[in-house]
Formats: sequence, structure tokens, C-alpha cells
Amino acid sequence: MQRQGYNKTAIFMHWFMAISIFFLFISSWWMLALPLPSEEYRYRVLPFQLHKNLGITIFFVLAILLYVRFKHRPAPITSPAMTPWMHKLAIFDHVVLYITIFACCLSGYLSSAYSGWTTTLWWLVDLPDWGYENEELNIFYSDVHLWTCWILLALVSVHISGAIYHAFRRDGVVRRMIRW
Amino acid sequence: METMHSNNPIDPGTEGPGWASWLGIMAIAFGIYLAAVHGTEVLSQIVYAPDTAAVHDVPIDCEEEELVEEGISLEECNLMGTTAKNVILSSPDWFRSFHIGLSAIGTIIAIVSVFIGIALVDYRKGVVVPAILTFGLLLAIDIIGFLAVVNAGPLLRAMYLSDTLLWSLIHLIMIAGLLAGFHSEPE
Repeated sequence: MQRQGYNKTAIFMHWFMAISIFFLFISSWWMLALPLPSEEYRYRVLPFQLHKNLGITIFFVLAILLYVRFKHRPAPITSPAMTPWMHKLAIFDHVVLYITIFACCLSGYLSSAYSGWTTTLWWLVDLPDWGYENEELNIFYSDVHLWTCWILLALVSVHISGAIYHAFRRDGVVRRMIRW
Repeated sequence: METMHSNNPIDPGTEGPGWASWLGIMAIAFGIYLAAVHGTEVLSQIVYAPDTAAVHDVPIDCEEEELVEEGISLEECNLMGTTAKNVILSSPDWFRSFHIGLSAIGTIIAIVSVFIGIALVDYRKGVVVPAILTFGLLLAIDIIGFLAVVNAGPLLRAMYLSDTLLWSLIHLIMIAGLLAGFHSEPE
């Protein structure tokens, strides 16, 4: 039997990612205004570790979400409110959104790997220090991280606008990612 | 082959009332954003610990290559220390631990409000009381935060007061909308 809405795991992961991504945006704007790190200035240590940990977690959560989503596909949307162009836009937005989230997480990790700073996953596991300190690569991946994340913010805005539109129309589309 | 649908059909005809859908999506959107705001505030208060380097005017290592990497000027680099110093020195002794506690509770209630929003969109009558409690708690946190900031000095007031007032209004509107919607429902 096919569910009308998304799988429970997919629903939980979707909302976990939503909260985490917004936290990463807002906290990153704040933490980039903290004094540059040194022996005395330790203000950036905790926020940057947390930022990296959440980013790595989102990467894997999204991978699991995609697996679950494709393994347990919900029934197609039958609402007449979902016109063909909306359907195409929704597919395009989702595909680009997933790619951008992966790109944003990966570029952030690569930037960190070439910064010379180590990453300890949730303060438990030291991730292999396979990178090396390379200023050029660090700046390059930092720029990629910055721009992919701005694009992500734009895509998330489109995604939320679509969700609000369907919630106001009450056409059952939003409830696919809500009904437990 | 025709697809058999499960026992959780999502038919537009079974949607709840319009006000619940409207309020639910607002609760989800604002809840996600507020959780991020409160979460960042917890982090900020933990990081801006008293008696740290910025307070003692320790010079910041504003190396040329770091400035290029961050895309900032030397003046901006030095001002980052001043900003941290301002926040730490302008906070009364009680403010840091109080705000960490209040923002931590705010983060949790904001996350709860996301799930309340989900329950409102997928309307069940039983959700109204938990929704009033949750929105009421969010409003209480705003008011307590507002009163705390009012008594915390002019620099913190300039930093927090307008945002706190805005959140209070949003939560007040959500409570009013919830009550109005609920009272418009047939018995």
C-alpha cells in the first residue's frame, strides 16, 4: 500500500533539517562578527565546532532522507490546485535544493579541512585530518560555501513560499509533509 | 495497475478550517525562525563569558592573510573585539545566566510550537488547548525577556528591545487568532 503523505522518518528528518538550517544561517551571521581566533581570543571555538558538527550531521541526514524518500515514495499529488507549471517548479526547486544543501555542507567541510583547524564530531570523534593548511584552497572553498549558502537561502525561500501558498489553498499538498 | 492508498488519505475535502491552516503554517514558520534566534542567543551568552580577552583589551591578531580570508579591513577586525567587549561589559552580573536559561527554554518551546503548528494544519480539535498553552508560554518568555532587558541598561535595550517587542506582538496576534478561530467553530 502506498502512503499519501511522506514516510514518518522523512517527515522527522525534514523538520529537523529545517530547524538546523535556519539555526546555522542565523548563528553564522553572528559568529562571523566574533573576534578572530588566537591563544587569548577563544570566542570562535565553540560556535565554529557546533557549526561544523551540525553541517556534517545535515549532510548525512539528507542522504538518509533521500534514501527513505525514494524507497517509500508517496502517492502522486492529485490536487487540481497543483498546476503543471507548479509541479515542474516544485520538482526543480527540490532537486536544486538537495544539490545545494550537499554542496553547502561539503564546501564548508573542505574549507575547514584546508584551514588547519581540526574537527571533532560532536566532541566525541576526531575526524581524520586528511587536509593540510592551504590558504588558497581554504579561501576558494570558503567562497564556494558562502555562495552556495546564499543560493540555498533563496531556494529555501521559494520552498517556504510554495508551502505557504498550498497551506492557504488547503489543497492537501502541505499535509503530505505533516501528517504523521 | 491502480495504486491502493493507505488508511491516511489526504483529501482536500478533509482539510481543517481555514484559520487553523493559516495559523498552523505561521506557527511552523515563526517557530523554526524563533528556535534559531533563541538557540543563537544561548550560544552567544555562553561565548561572551565575563573576564575574557576582549574585556582586558588584549590586542587581536589581525594578520594580513586572515583579513583577506575573512574579507574584512583592519579596522573591522579590531572592532570585533570592541563589540564583544561592549556586550560583556554592558551586561549586569545576573543577565548572562538569566538569559541563557530564558533562551534555552525559549528554544524548546519554539520547537514545540513547530509541532503545534503541524497539528493545527492537520486540524484536530484537541490541539487548541496545547496551542494556547504553547503560544502563551512563548508570549510569557517574550514579556519576561522584555522586562529583563528594560532593567539591563541602555546598551542591551538598544540591542534587544525592538526584536523582543516584535516577537511579543506576533505571539499576541497568534493567540488572538487562535481564540477567534476556535470561537467561530460550531459547538
